[in-house]
Amino acid sequence: MSMALFSSPPTHHPTSPPSLSPKTHLTRKTFLYLKPTKSHFLVSIKATDNGSGATVASVAATVEEEKKASEAPDAAGSSLGPNGSPAAAPAVKEVAQFGDPRWVGGTWDLNQFRKDGKTDWDAVIDAEVRRRKWLEDDPESSSNENPVFFDTSIIPWWAWIKRFHLPEAERLNGRAAMIGFFMAYLVDSLTGVGLVDQMGNFFCKTLLFVSVVGVLLIRKNEDIETLKKLVEETTFYDKQWQATWQDENSSKKD
Amino acid sequence: MAAQTHPLHSLFTSLPPTLKTRQNNLSKPTTLTVKCKSISGRKLRAAVIGGGPAGSSTAEALALGGIETFLFERSPDAAKPCGGAIPLCMLDEFNIPSELIDRKVTHMKIISPSNLTVDFGKTLKPNEFISMLRREVLDSYLRSRAESSGTTLLKALVTGLDVPTSADKPYVVNYTMDGSRRSLSVDVVVGADGANSRVAKAIHAGDYACAIAFQERIKLPEDKMDYYRNLAEMYVGNDVSPDFYAWVFPKCDHVAVGTGTVCSKQDIKLFQHGIRERVYPKIKGGKVIKVEAHPIPEHPRPVRVRGRVALVGDAAGYVTKCSGEGIYFAAKSGRMCGEAIVRASEGGERMIEEEDLKREYLRVWDTNYITTFRFLDLLQKVFYGNNAGREALVELCGDEYVQRMTFESYLYKKLADGNRWEDAKMVMNTIGSLVRCNLVGKDMQHILLKERLFA
Repeated sequence: MSMALFSSPPTHHPTSPPSLSPKTHLTRKTFLYLKPTKSHFLVSIKATDNGSGATVASVAATVEEEKKASEAPDAAGSSLGPNGSPAAAPAVKEVAQFGDPRWVGGTWDLNQFRKDGKTDWDAVIDAEVRRRKWLEDDPESSSNENPVFFDTSIIPWWAWIKRFHLPEAERLNGRAAMIGFFMAYLVDSLTGVGLVDQMGNFFCKTLLFVSVVGVLLIRKNEDIETLKKLVEETTFYDKQWQATWQDENSSKKD
Repeated sequence: MAAQTHPLHSLFTSLPPTLKTRQNNLSKPTTLTVKCKSISGRKLRAAVIGGGPAGSSTAEALALGGIETFLFERSPDAAKPCGGAIPLCMLDEFNIPSELIDRKVTHMKIISPSNLTVDFGKTLKPNEFISMLRREVLDSYLRSRAESSGTTLLKALVTGLDVPTSADKPYVVNYTMDGSRRSLSVDVVVGADGANSRVAKAIHAGDYACAIAFQERIKLPEDKMDYYRNLAEMYVGNDVSPDFYAWVFPKCDHVAVGTGTVCSKQDIKLFQHGIRERVYPKIKGGKVIKVEAHPIPEHPRPVRVRGRVALVGDAAGYVTKCSGEGIYFAAKSGRMCGEAIVRASEGGERMIEEEDLKREYLRVWDTNYITTFRFLDLLQKVFYGNNAGREALVELCGDEYVQRMTFESYLYKKLADGNRWEDAKMVMNTIGSLVRCNLVGKDMQHILLKERLFA
């Protein structure tokens, strides 16, 4: 697998050690698509974690010579499954390690994520997503020398809410409001009962409850099927255990 | 079953009133409540097929209760492919001498797909550990104990079981011993012959889904072996198993590196390669000395008791999900079944029926353990399904309370009692971790889509 790394047109040479390179070039993982096979691999700068040595990894040549020839057939063969060819014996394999100048000592160096004097949590989340995606496609061996410490609880709860929950909440509330308004209008026009009086009625309250639950649970068309399968799945194991007791009720022949 | 009781009824009407009968005006005893038929002149005869932990425990319990027991084992010296880990409570309950223990694991590491590593075992007390044994050592010890309690041990391969057509005929066990075919008539059969149980086939117990566990035993150089002196590792990730975990367990003088799966059995070699890669720096220079694989049942068989045949251990499917633990449950179910037969037959004096087996053995077993099994199934569904769940699992395991609860439940097989406040915190943390990791997971999918769009 030939790995080449170009963050911009080849005329750019980051001559400085990786940790000081301009952030803009390194915040984005660079993607290089290999010849049109099914597989693709995320590539990254082979920056060293501890900053030891000054491997200026941007030069394609140095990167290439680290890769053994055995990687080339692998790229064509394997698709999105686990990395590595099943047929080849686990010979010495050099794969580009995950590297990012902000990933220091097994965790994200939050100082490098500062924006306007505060930590840019969105960028941290982005970086972690990229790292996990990289590792999912290209699993690395765990090592005792470079243990990983980062876990998602480092990112504060409000950053998660701001980024993921709020847009979704806005969407759902909007749906609920539209449905609510339309249903209130419809019921009023059909029965003449105004909004305030509707709220006092038990049937209307039930309808309201059903609509709220519906909006919360069913967000895509596929969700209906998913919910049905979920119910079946949760009770399946129990059914298997109770199977031996079912025989009491049915008559069987041996 | 319904068909079987009628012949019995007519049998019992002719017996002398040693049976419990209803008081009524007729002088002839009616037999609406059927108690066990008394066997005159001999003790109840039981055959236990399979001499592993389940079979040996059954045989021991039966023999101690006074029942004439025959234990069949086809290869007493075979080393079964197995993790070989047993909880503390098994050492106490089954009086396993500590000389049999190869290693006492006091540390565990669990490693997520993104290589987040968590040290499990900070909360273990000095006298708490997971015992690692060699299966051949444990099995032969339990077998010899069964023998010394009065069981007749037969080194034979059971080829078939003849189920009687009428209720008063015995079960016939056909077996080959020393090259000759023989058969043995018994009253009760206990099938402890593992995942491919012949007894289960004979009674049409139904099939179950099996996982395959594959492992390689690797002899490591000294310094690398020292790292695993009392440490076991668990790896999770799509590269090592799509629905289970991969492990590195230390054994007497080597490590077992393996993985398992239910849904992608044909890719097991790929996953084994995956785990070898993940552990590579730690096993570099090691030599593979053995490769082995074995099926592991995923859930109980549809029928576990039929007629006077009961299934125990792996044959019944008593392997927990999530951890894949089976040795303790095999031994415990064997003992429970043996004791149930002893109780129902009043020390071998009376014949037993299917209802007795169900009442004394199945009902008791289910009441005691179904919650444990259900809970572990839930854990497996939630945490092993995808990489996001696995990351959440590893994050959660960093918490000391979670570690303590997990170990206590595992080591003592009892629902550990913690305090409510910590429990609530744990639940909140679980939800939080799951939500966060799933959000990251969804974002990962979006990256994939974005890349595809820009192709």
